[in-house]
Amino acid sequence: MLRETMESRSPLQEFTKGLWLDNPVSRQLLGMCSTLAITNAVINGIAMGLAVGFVLLFSSLLVSLARKFVPSQVRIATYIVIIASFVTIADRFMAAFFPPISKALGPYVPLIVVNCIILGRAEAFASKNSVGRSIVDAMGMSAGYIIALLILSSVREILGNGTILGFRILGSWFEPWIIMILPPGAFITLGILIALAFQIERKAKQRR
Amino acid sequence: MSLYKQMVIVLTSIGIISGALLVSVNLLTKDRIASNKQKEIEAAVLRVIPGTKASQKIYEEKDFTVYQGKDDQGNLLGFAINTAAGGFQDKILYIFGLNIQLTRISSLYVLNQKETPGLGAKIANERAFLQFWEGKECSRPLSLRKPPVEKEKLAASEVNTITGATVSSRAVLSSVNAALEKIKKLKEGGKLNVEGDHGE
Repeated sequence: MLRETMESRSPLQEFTKGLWLDNPVSRQLLGMCSTLAITNAVINGIAMGLAVGFVLLFSSLLVSLARKFVPSQVRIATYIVIIASFVTIADRFMAAFFPPISKALGPYVPLIVVNCIILGRAEAFASKNSVGRSIVDAMGMSAGYIIALLILSSVREILGNGTILGFRILGSWFEPWIIMILPPGAFITLGILIALAFQIERKAKQRR
Repeated sequence: MSLYKQMVIVLTSIGIISGALLVSVNLLTKDRIASNKQKEIEAAVLRVIPGTKASQKIYEEKDFTVYQGKDDQGNLLGFAINTAAGGFQDKILYIFGLNIQLTRISSLYVLNQKETPGLGAKIANERAFLQFWEGKECSRPLSLRKPPVEKEKLAASEVNTITGATVSSRAVLSSVNAALEKIKKLKEGGKLNVEGDHGE
């Protein structure tokens, strides 16, 4: 995560680092609260991923635009106001156009304000880099977050409910593992996924 | 420009810009959000009073709203009560339909709940819970059957308990009984302003 400052990355690398090397969930371990809470169904994972992506993109854009004017003493306050505005927009938009999803995500949409992925990227990247780079970084991080949520929520929905996106894929012989859609299932799945990601990364390093 | 001035200016202008942005977003979405809520309740009323074509709010207090349902000709078909039970995690918002005499429940439907997924959340499930409410006799308070039995074996005013979710089942049951008592009192006191009740 501290690699950002010493850089000479191509735009493509700026994007792809969010997918794997610096994936917000599996490597930076940021935004765990929402990640654990809303991945009990794939549709919630997608909606949350898109909402966070929207907020991340626009707040990175604005933080990067404003980086020359904002005195460092009030930077966090500024970021929070920017982030909170976009979160509220996302929240109202979902309530107006996708009421069932808005209902399912409940308090976790307003809570995006304190999602550390967004504040983390604003502080560590957007406030130090050009607008273009910040947008690419935000897109990469959002994509990485969405992928992580998709994997987590697919595992949990399939094992915990026998369905994916509401469609039954495991037959009636399958007795759902209810624990997988309860909070412990989130910790178990996330732990295994992070361990796997680290293992793959270690193998790759040995080969290099 | 001094640092102090710059801090004030930056924070103030950001505050004003985002405030303006939020006001406009709210103006754009608030009608839609209100109508979504309205539509949801409306659909639920039509769902719990069979044959209803038009519904109308006839009594309201906190967490207790009564609707009447009418058919095409304006004949009164029954009432729907939208109320809340104290669930395991949060309020269980649900609606149920009654016939005109308030002696029979037509059906019950859960609008919003945050019960434990896989256990208490089954109260919103047709097969696990809701089907047992259809056509229940309710001149006297209803009771729960535990352990659950086949639908046909239930008494006229008995509803199955969900295995593993006794708390949630009981919450709905006692709330339904309380709501029944309340609406009967309202009716006796003439406080239900039922109109067009001429049963042609």
